[in-house]
Amino acid sequence: MNKQEFLDALRASLEGLPREDIEASLEFYGEAIDDRMESGLTEQEAVAEIGSVEEVAAQILSEMPLPKLIKARAKGSPSGWQIALIVLGSPVWLPLLLAAAICLLAAYLVVWSVVISFYALDAALAMGAIGGLAGTVQSLTQGNFSGAGMAFGIGMISAGLSVLLFLGMGRVSKLGVQFHRAVLRRCKNRLAGKGK
Amino acid sequence: MDIQLKRGLLEVCVLAAIRGEDSYGYQIIKDMKPYVEISESTLYPILRRLEAAELLTVRSSEYRGRLRKYYRITPLGEKRLRDFREEWEQILAIYKFITREDSNHE
Repeated sequence: MNKQEFLDALRASLEGLPREDIEASLEFYGEAIDDRMESGLTEQEAVAEIGSVEEVAAQILSEMPLPKLIKARAKGSPSGWQIALIVLGSPVWLPLLLAAAICLLAAYLVVWSVVISFYALDAALAMGAIGGLAGTVQSLTQGNFSGAGMAFGIGMISAGLSVLLFLGMGRVSKLGVQFHRAVLRRCKNRLAGKGK
Repeated sequence: MDIQLKRGLLEVCVLAAIRGEDSYGYQIIKDMKPYVEISESTLYPILRRLEAAELLTVRSSEYRGRLRKYYRITPLGEKRLRDFREEWEQILAIYKFITREDSNHE
């Protein structure tokens, strides 16, 4: 494969991306081939060292933000036949797509429910602490000293647990964010044609 | 190695490769080669990210009748290199501690 063939093939696989992104990529790889030839390689060898067009294109696509990537993948307008197939096939693909979307939504809900439940627990403990202190004051004004001691103890335990839990909270939130990132990465790699 | 870690390290490597004087794609790859192998398809997105983050600037310059892109580090990029050094001094101290524990147990 010579330089022009490589660049033409790369342009074809990037079709659908914004023009300036395509031009910048082609300039970069064209320059890379030129510099290799200058260092003594033949044109064919220089192109071979860059790697396959598919790899290069997949790498570029997987770095694009998701909306650009989807637009690039939906390139061109569909032909009449394709439209007919899409419409006729809708009883099959629509429920499947819906099911997949609902599964993903369920997974998100599960992960975020865990995160939210931890926050709720922490809020409840904080309330418990306030309630305990209020109870202490109330019992004291009534002259009920043993009741005041108990309320004070409960308040302090709640406060302590609440602070401890709060310290671990960052980690729990991170779990949700990490899950979201992993899903996004998988979607992108699929679309970019990269991966296992 | 952890992918995110490697990605971050390579970004700093590229900044280090252009620290002294402006450089271009193939030269950066050659300079890094004795330390870490990097391909054009890895380098390209890194350069774009660094440019977007204003850690480097790009200019096109004529070289033997064709255009070549040269990359120059910005003050922000130099700050990133300094921060990296400080962070890794801390990590090295931890590493020393960990490996000392190992030798005590043997």
